[in-house]
Amino acid sequence: MRHGADRMVDAVSGAALLGFVVVFVVFLLAPILVVVAVAFSSLGYVAFPIPSLSLRWFVRVLTYEPFLDGLRVSAELAFASTALAALIGVPAALAIGRSSRPWAQGMAAFLLSPVSMPLIVLGYSLLFYLSVLGLGASFASLLIAHTVIGVPYLVRTVTGIYRSIPPDYEEASAILGAGRLASLFLVTLPLIRPGIFAGCLFAFLISFDNLPISYFFGSADASTLPVVMLSYMQSQFDPAIAAISTVQMVLAMIVLLVVERFYGLRRIGAPA
Amino acid sequence: MPAGWTAPAGLFLLAFFLAPLARNAGVSIWPNGVAGGIDVQPYQRLFADPFYLGVLGQTLGLSFVAAAISALIGYPVAFFMVRKAGRFQALLTFLLIAPLLTSIIMRTYGWRVLMSRLGLVNALLRNLGIIDRPIDFLGGPWVAVAALVHVLVPFMVLSIAASLQGVDRRLEEASRLLGAGRVATFLRVTLPLTLDGVGTGFILVFMLANGSFVTLLLLGGGLQTLPLLIFQQFNTTRDFAFAGAMSNVLLVAAVLCLALQARLIRRRGVRA
Repeated sequence: MRHGADRMVDAVSGAALLGFVVVFVVFLLAPILVVVAVAFSSLGYVAFPIPSLSLRWFVRVLTYEPFLDGLRVSAELAFASTALAALIGVPAALAIGRSSRPWAQGMAAFLLSPVSMPLIVLGYSLLFYLSVLGLGASFASLLIAHTVIGVPYLVRTVTGIYRSIPPDYEEASAILGAGRLASLFLVTLPLIRPGIFAGCLFAFLISFDNLPISYFFGSADASTLPVVMLSYMQSQFDPAIAAISTVQMVLAMIVLLVVERFYGLRRIGAPA
Repeated sequence: MPAGWTAPAGLFLLAFFLAPLARNAGVSIWPNGVAGGIDVQPYQRLFADPFYLGVLGQTLGLSFVAAAISALIGYPVAFFMVRKAGRFQALLTFLLIAPLLTSIIMRTYGWRVLMSRLGLVNALLRNLGIIDRPIDFLGGPWVAVAALVHVLVPFMVLSIAASLQGVDRRLEEASRLLGAGRVATFLRVTLPLTLDGVGTGFILVFMLANGSFVTLLLLGGGLQTLPLLIFQQFNTTRDFAFAGAMSNVLLVAAVLCLALQARLIRRRGVRA
């Protein structure tokens, strides 16, 4: 009797839990899927039901000058800031990766800390600071700011992967007579390449999507795509934003699939 | 690698991360230069003026509500993921992470598409004959709360799932064998063992919600929070000492959250 009742409770609570999770997944996906749906709307404004499908908003995005300019600025900025972050972040990650000394732990915490700061605070403080230095709202300022938020991602993924690789390879290389630089370029860097790649990917995506910082630094000649999209959204509510968001999402998914295919995301998930 | 390899990244962050924050803190305390003496008037205004105190309360209150709802929703989902999902666990993890691939603008826009007067929810409700005039969801704070939870709940689920994974199932069996029912076993064994995961997730969500800017800017529904006010001060009022003081308060809140989190993680004895 007791067992029968237990099984009943099990079945009911199991079904309730499953139902809850299904609702949760709908909650997660709904705001994204409706945007994709609206992107194909033939209406001149956002409304339901969508009467017929059309590609007009994709055409509009491709011919709207400010979007294209924003896209160019965003792409240049994301590439440049990721490269700069990798250039300074990778050596730092190699220096702290295997050290358990207190200085290394402190340095790791410091290099990771920008990721935990409210971006609006960083953007505000940095803008005034750079204005004093004579930079103000410009591409150079954007580059500096985006590099600051990119460094933690590089440091985290590279230290993670470097720690997971046994030092034997580098020791063998040294014993076999390779100099420090040869070991670095022929042994260490190829081994940590997936970590560098993943870190660059995160830094790139974070830079590309950043709004709070770019919003402060945007100037007439250097406004990033999110800033242009935001000002477009504030003045009109038509499906153009849906179309460009959909394109952006598809691109991000393709990049992620490529990474998964060539490097495997599991290998880079090691926490720093 | 030698410690010197951390110099480029360390110096870069010192110059463009730590220095701007320090300068900002300095300006908010010494608005007329150090020689001009300490002026705590901006802080006085923030903590004494009922309006600004209200803004502070709304900021922290909103983050608290978002974190609490995330915990309530996230726990069952994490439980399902770890204990029941089986081969669907990878799929669920993917669904949790997938929204992070879309831009924050896309997700915010998605909520507007769902909840605006001509949006999907109003259209559905009208078709079902439940309402005959559209409801102004965007005029209230709840869409902002839902959007915050939508962005942040994956962090909560992953944090709770990690600690659920670490629970020794034999402790639950022991509790059952000793005569405790399912509910009692959950409340007195499983839940206490995973409270650290809930705590870590709660702090993380709270911290991220405190700094959220885009969501509030576009879906705020009349809510006033510190990030919005900082931007307003910067953009229109141009009271830099006051904006500096506000961003300092946000900064201190973030640092406090980080310290709390570090304590929790250390107590749990996982990766120091």
